[in-house]
Amino acid sequence: MSWMNIELILLIALPALIAVIMYFSAGYNQRARNSLAVAGAGVELYLVFSLFLLNFEAVKNSNFFLQYTIGYTESPFVINFAMDNLSLLFSLIVTGAVFLIVLFSTKYIRNQENSYFALFFLVLASIQGSILTADLFTLYLFIEAITIFTTPLISFNKTKETTRAAMQYLFYGITGGVFFFISIILIYFNLGTLKMAAVAQSFALISTPMQLTIIIFFLLALIIKLGIFPIHFWLPRAHSACPAPISALLSGVLLKVYLYIFMRLFWTMIAFDFLVELHLSTFVLDLALVSSLIGHVFALQADELKKMLAYSSIGHIGMILAVLMLNTEAAFYGALLHIIAHLMMKSGLFLSSGYLLKTTLSHHIDDLKGIGHKNRLLFIAFIIICLGTIGMPPLIGFVSKWFVLLAFLEARHYFGAFVVGAGSIIALIYYLRYISQAYQSVKMETKTLREELISFKSFFKNSNMMKNVIYIFTLLIIFFGLAFRVLEMPINTAIFELLNPQKYIELVLGG
Amino acid sequence: MFNNLIFIILFMLGFYALVMKTNLIKNVIGLNLMEAAVFFWVISFSDIGGEVSIHKLGEEVTKFNDPVPQALTLTGIVIGASTAALLLTLIMELNKFSGTIDRDQLEELND
Repeated sequence: MSWMNIELILLIALPALIAVIMYFSAGYNQRARNSLAVAGAGVELYLVFSLFLLNFEAVKNSNFFLQYTIGYTESPFVINFAMDNLSLLFSLIVTGAVFLIVLFSTKYIRNQENSYFALFFLVLASIQGSILTADLFTLYLFIEAITIFTTPLISFNKTKETTRAAMQYLFYGITGGVFFFISIILIYFNLGTLKMAAVAQSFALISTPMQLTIIIFFLLALIIKLGIFPIHFWLPRAHSACPAPISALLSGVLLKVYLYIFMRLFWTMIAFDFLVELHLSTFVLDLALVSSLIGHVFALQADELKKMLAYSSIGHIGMILAVLMLNTEAAFYGALLHIIAHLMMKSGLFLSSGYLLKTTLSHHIDDLKGIGHKNRLLFIAFIIICLGTIGMPPLIGFVSKWFVLLAFLEARHYFGAFVVGAGSIIALIYYLRYISQAYQSVKMETKTLREELISFKSFFKNSNMMKNVIYIFTLLIIFFGLAFRVLEMPINTAIFELLNPQKYIELVLGG
Repeated sequence: MFNNLIFIILFMLGFYALVMKTNLIKNVIGLNLMEAAVFFWVISFSDIGGEVSIHKLGEEVTKFNDPVPQALTLTGIVIGASTAALLLTLIMELNKFSGTIDRDQLEELND
């Protein structure tokens, strides 16, 4: 067992350990707390990046695989963690985003309470766990852990709204969890194993009605967790009630983790052909497209900035789910690229909404009047990220939407292509509503060029961490928009995993 | 089968309480009923009339009850209890803020 295999456990154990230290060191000052948080997230990022860089050749030839088993290897019921190219890609992007969010929240969370970072790191540990796990029951545990640990974070500012949102989130999340549990139990009674790889080998042996039941309960659970159309009411409330970094975590990171679990379940564990055979893939495709359209339309009427962003998230997640359902190589490329793009853009938007809240009364559209004049550079960054979300050419949002559109056209699914285009146009309208409001000023302060330069200089002097994180997100969006081919190699190897689940199955069962 | 029937009745009862009742505490009860129905069903299926699956020295046990569903159920019960506690805490807080635990009234107050 080499050091790299142990690193898999460390990825989960380290944030959990930091959470415990955070919780029991309540008396310490804010600076110690912040440095511990940044150091923890930094070490986590270092671990994942070192895994990527040290195995670069293996990743490139898509035969990268690591696993670690706790317990007797001969027994069929062991806790098993495995990492292949797909999990590596998700682990990388999630940890990167979480590191930036931690940097932001060190300045954003002002009060002395340490429970914020304790819960945050517990969520990080559960996210890593649900990405790395290779058996179903551990997956169920980690999903439930994510739901339970995010609930107190949503009601972190204790008001009526946040408490209600957290309660609703927990109700829906646990109902989804019960459906997930039923599915797992049905699989266990039919096959006598909970290892994903072993289930994948013998799923065809189950009778067709039972297959249908299992798949429907899995779909129900994940549709609830992803906030797809008929059960999406909890999402905008929960994602707009919490503090801004948590909104970024929920909307930017967690939804992608659920998408990852969706891919793991329906491509690696249950072959996608079963969904096609049972006529469920077209149903989910249409549902996701309707959800996408509805999310964008509801974003039009949202009068609160964060609510608008949350509804727009529903739109994007619906689009990604729909394009995944096409089950072609182009579709996977578009979906994975848009997952990365949406992760960066939505985190950036929610974080900047959090920063803007510091200078205004509320997020209501009327209170945002003239905000563009108050903090100029930051609002320009905000506009750039907005343009990325809409899909303007030099930015990553354009590239990913372009590939999604190409995938839809290649599969001759014109309604999907229409939804992508219409979503962009509606997004343009609702973002412009806020941007025009922000530049509508009662009184224009005109600065001379000299004053402008002085303020630019002072920006570099007392620039704070919150702004810097938002600028980093903006630069990343511009950079990856121009050089999206950097992402081509990791995405293509991840697609290889989706298309050839046999490799994962053999390696997990063989080792 | 008898246990299937009881599972469906209990699950539907819980689902009814979760969806149709407007009292939030009744909703929590409904959610717990749903979970309890699933656990009951799992345990009743895994019981094949065998021994408890504990390895005893010097004794040969031929027929075991499968311990895995029991372990799953135990974990599920822990999760169910903790979520119920969390939900009830949130409902208490909500009652402090708005003076009602009725779902529809909360909805009206909000808009």
